Amino acid sequence: MHHELLILKHPLRVRMFHYLLIVSFLPLAATGVILYFKPLGESAMNLAMQIHAAAGALLALAAGAFFLLAFDRLLLFVKRIFTFSLDDVRWFAVLGGYPQKLLLGRKISVPPMGKYNSGQKLFGICVLIGGAVLIISGLALWAFPHLLPRAATAYLGLLHTFFGWLLTLFLPVHLFLGVYMVDDFKAMILHGRIPLAEAGEMSPRWVEKEIIPLSENQ
Amino acid sequence: MEKQSLSYIENQPALSRREFITIGGIVVAFLALPVVWIRTIVASNNDYIRARTKGLYQDDARAAVRVSHANKSVARYYREFGGEPLGHLSHELLHTSYINRTKGLVS
Amino acid sequence: MNVAPQTYRKGEIPGVIAIRASDCKGCDACKRHCPTGAIQGAFGATHSIDVDACLSCGQCLINCPFGAPYETADSVENVLARLRDRTVTVAGIIAPAVRVAIGEDFGLPAGTLATGKLYSAMKKAGFEIFDNNFAADLTIMEEGSEFIARARQAVFGEKGAHGEAAGPLPQFTSCCPAWVRFVETKYPALIPHLSSAKSPQQMAGAVAKTYGTKVWNKPADRLYTVGIMPCTAKKLEASRPEFNQAFLYNRRNNAAAGVAYPDVDAVLTTRDLSRLFKKLNIDLAAQKDSAGDTLLADYTGAGTIFGNTGGVMEAAVRTACAVITGKELTPLDFRPARGLKGVKSASVTLHDAKYSKDVTLHLAVVHNIAQNIDPLLRDVLAGTSPYHFIEVMNCPGGCVNGGGQPVYGNGSSWLGAIRPWFAWN
Repeated sequence: MHHELLILKHPLRVRMFHYLLIVSFLPLAATGVILYFKPLGESAMNLAMQIHAAAGALLALAAGAFFLLAFDRLLLFVKRIFTFSLDDVRWFAVLGGYPQKLLLGRKISVPPMGKYNSGQKLFGICVLIGGAVLIISGLALWAFPHLLPRAATAYLGLLHTFFGWLLTLFLPVHLFLGVYMVDDFKAMILHGRIPLAEAGEMSPRWVEKEIIPLSENQ
Repeated sequence: MEKQSLSYIENQPALSRREFITIGGIVVAFLALPVVWIRTIVASNNDYIRARTKGLYQDDARAAVRVSHANKSVARYYREFGGEPLGHLSHELLHTSYINRTKGLVS
Repeated sequence: MNVAPQTYRKGEIPGVIAIRASDCKGCDACKRHCPTGAIQGAFGATHSIDVDACLSCGQCLINCPFGAPYETADSVENVLARLRDRTVTVAGIIAPAVRVAIGEDFGLPAGTLATGKLYSAMKKAGFEIFDNNFAADLTIMEEGSEFIARARQAVFGEKGAHGEAAGPLPQFTSCCPAWVRFVETKYPALIPHLSSAKSPQQMAGAVAKTYGTKVWNKPADRLYTVGIMPCTAKKLEASRPEFNQAFLYNRRNNAAAGVAYPDVDAVLTTRDLSRLFKKLNIDLAAQKDSAGDTLLADYTGAGTIFGNTGGVMEAAVRTACAVITGKELTPLDFRPARGLKGVKSASVTLHDAKYSKDVTLHLAVVHNIAQNIDPLLRDVLAGTSPYHFIEVMNCPGGCVNGGGQPVYGNGSSWLGAIRPWFAWN
């Protein structure tokens, strides 16, 4: 019989939001690259733009819904990704131990991390700021590029392109590591729960300071 | 045999009142800023047109002569050369005709 | 795009405006500014211009955030060559709207009235000055008289001096070449309603090469006329093959007849002139004020307001009032014609001194034809329009916001600081 102690890492609201992010952001990135390089003919480019706009609308609605219905989780997320210490510098110095693990098969010691490690915090900042900029600029560029002064529209276009590329290039890193870390993958994509042992190893500060026991009736 | 986990431990969201207000305030400000910016520049979109328009009305307001029929140089043109408005020379040099371009237009 | 254009005659410039595909993002902002739907290409795909529908108005060009549309006709080098040629006198025909915008290309605030500096800069470059506002005054004399004839025919049955009939009401102004092309390509039934008066630019060209030869003491074939306009459609207008009346007149009245010449040889937009000055290292902002040298630079306040929407109407009302009633309009400011409202209308009741009767004239001013013209024209075609005289300007705000004006980015100052990074600067 298995007695496995599990922590609820990602509640349902959070997982739902993440599903919507996957469904909207992957088409956005793909069509965004197509719109940037313009490799296709007219009707294909038009289709790419329609998909881009529809997925963008979905992203905006999902973000808006999360903002309204999970405002506390959003603020908690913001607090976590903007809390730094010297440990973060040390983590980046060894790149979290991943290159060593992946390429050399060696395990090295890594400074103790909270719920999000330093790399995840960096990604979180990019997604939060970049996502907000992309949604707002995307809305303006789609709905009213002709009403804004042209310099403003051009500037929004520049921001949109910059943050679009930033997130699109960062995405493969996130996808790879998100799948590679199997327990975390199951936590975010499936049931939200992570084994205590795994969490203790990867996020010791989180386990130390922020976990409380929950007694449950069987 | 119960395969599913027997007990799970949940973290308690740890955000104090003060943190909530501070971070919440920053997030809302960060989102409100672009909205305010966009509204401001949309409202001022035509200001440059109004500025140019005003420049011409100023040119008119301070002109010594403000009506075309009192332009002495125009009068001199007619006297020395042009004849009179709608006269023969006016029709030759100052009037024109137009053409129907719909015949070849791809609709 | 490879089909030969079908709405242009030989000699006319087809496609003054084109779109650079590499810069176009397919955002459709331009389409909302185009009065004829001449921009093709689906949302997201690169766009192109259907030259048969295009009016060459340039609104797409000044409004595209990414600077994708550009002008295909550039006469700056030709004009520079003529300016250097000592045997040729180059006359610059300056439109009213140029003087309140060209300063922007030299760091002056928008709307700065820079007439004196502009004259100085032009003289330094070697131009003779023909102020188009003089021609605007001339236009009011001709078009105002034409309107009075049409109105008196409608109200009193008056016929012309040789018994000829005047045109129908309502009368439309004809100084905007984009509007004229709009009528010719979409509403040819309205052609009789267009004033037969030429635009001030074309009157200026014809006058420059006939009467102007006496003013500048130069033969017509040594005069090179350059329209300096806030407008890209003026490049198309100058190329209309019928605009060589000066040559025909001179050929009839002089023995010699050389190669034919157009009334207006070249057109520079305000932007083009700024570039020309910069090539000659002339800083307009640093010039001292200078005055016009000949009577061809003498203009009234009525002429200068031609650049604003409602300006032609106001100028016409001032003169029509004086001619019809025998008394000057007081006050001279005709405020119902002013402002950025899409369609402005006003009624004036004048006592016709010739017929001793009161006449009420219904006037309308419309600009931004992309948004405002259709209901007005429907009424005119149906015969239900209440108006007698209608001023039409293609561009929102009138010529001051024409397709040839300096592009005003309208950003905050820090946006202006990074503007040089952008492609179209």
